[in-house]
Amino acid sequence: MKMISRSIYKVPKGKLLKIRLNYNEKTNSIDEISITGDFFAYPEEIIDFLENELKGTLLDKEIIFKKIDSIIKERNIEFIGVNVEGLTKGILMCKK
Amino acid sequence: MKEQWRLIETGDNTAFTNMAMDKAVLVSISRGKVPPTVRFYRWRPSAISIGYFQSLEEEVNLDICKNFGVDYVRRITGGGAVYHEKELTYSIIISESHPKIPKNIMESYRIICGALIKGLKNLGIESTYVPINDIITNGKKISGNAQTRKEKTVLQHGTILKDVNIEKMFFLLRVPNEKIKDKLIADVKERVTSIKHVLEKEISFEEISTAIKSGFEKEFNIELVKGTFTEEEEELTKKFEKECFSTNNWNHRR
Repeated sequence: MKMISRSIYKVPKGKLLKIRLNYNEKTNSIDEISITGDFFAYPEEIIDFLENELKGTLLDKEIIFKKIDSIIKERNIEFIGVNVEGLTKGILMCKK
Repeated sequence: MKEQWRLIETGDNTAFTNMAMDKAVLVSISRGKVPPTVRFYRWRPSAISIGYFQSLEEEVNLDICKNFGVDYVRRITGGGAVYHEKELTYSIIISESHPKIPKNIMESYRIICGALIKGLKNLGIESTYVPINDIITNGKKISGNAQTRKEKTVLQHGTILKDVNIEKMFFLLRVPNEKIKDKLIADVKERVTSIKHVLEKEISFEEISTAIKSGFEKEFNIELVKGTFTEEEEELTKKFEKECFSTNNWNHRR
């Protein structure tokens, strides 16, 4: 079953994260994700990359956290107004 | 002798031209063609700019903007949606390796906002920097700022509010929940101010830009010398305006 959902999450001491998520309820995995909001990320291209990398990922707190965390550490990404915890939380808030 | 940086005052332009000019100077600086550059500018017609990561359709009431002749554009910097009307906008573009600009992003916000704070002080306004990207006076925001770093170059631009019309801003912007719009407007009115409100009088754009110019000179211990775009920058501006900032492809990409 294809699900379409969205979340709005104010990152503590940070910015407003707005996520749109298409996911497969049966496999509990991400089909398509769009991460938007008034945060900062350096370099900016990382968000497109993350959206792509997250496709097919299980909607599991630990798995999503580790996936994003390893990508931003590997690529030396700097987030301002958002963080890995916030992104993980915003994504999982989309799950009905 | 003090180090000389370039000051460009471009007056009124469309949102698309303004964003193209900032990017053109960024490319020019990254190629080592010109000194660090401060630009002062305004928006005609008035316009909304949204942050790089924002969804245009989610943030902006596109039909209303079209009806009222308000332009909208996506910035190359992150941050939030801004309605640009009665404000002086600045940009500073400088090589990331320049000794006067901190490597640390938050530190560089603080230093650049420090120039604006010194400038506001010249107008008799005491203000402070509040991370992440605001300058506040008496607890209210008077300036918002956004920075990007690409091609080994720092670009920060931001607004200095001369006057502000919160109702109009919310008329043009979309909010997640229409039912609480009135409360949101009341909240924002409590949190945002302008030079006009603080000084209780109108002052000219020239007075503001003169004050901010000297704020930059003091903060960075440099001299700002009035200049113009190079031919290459003029060409790049046209190119970026046409190929990027005026296109649906760019503005609707999120």
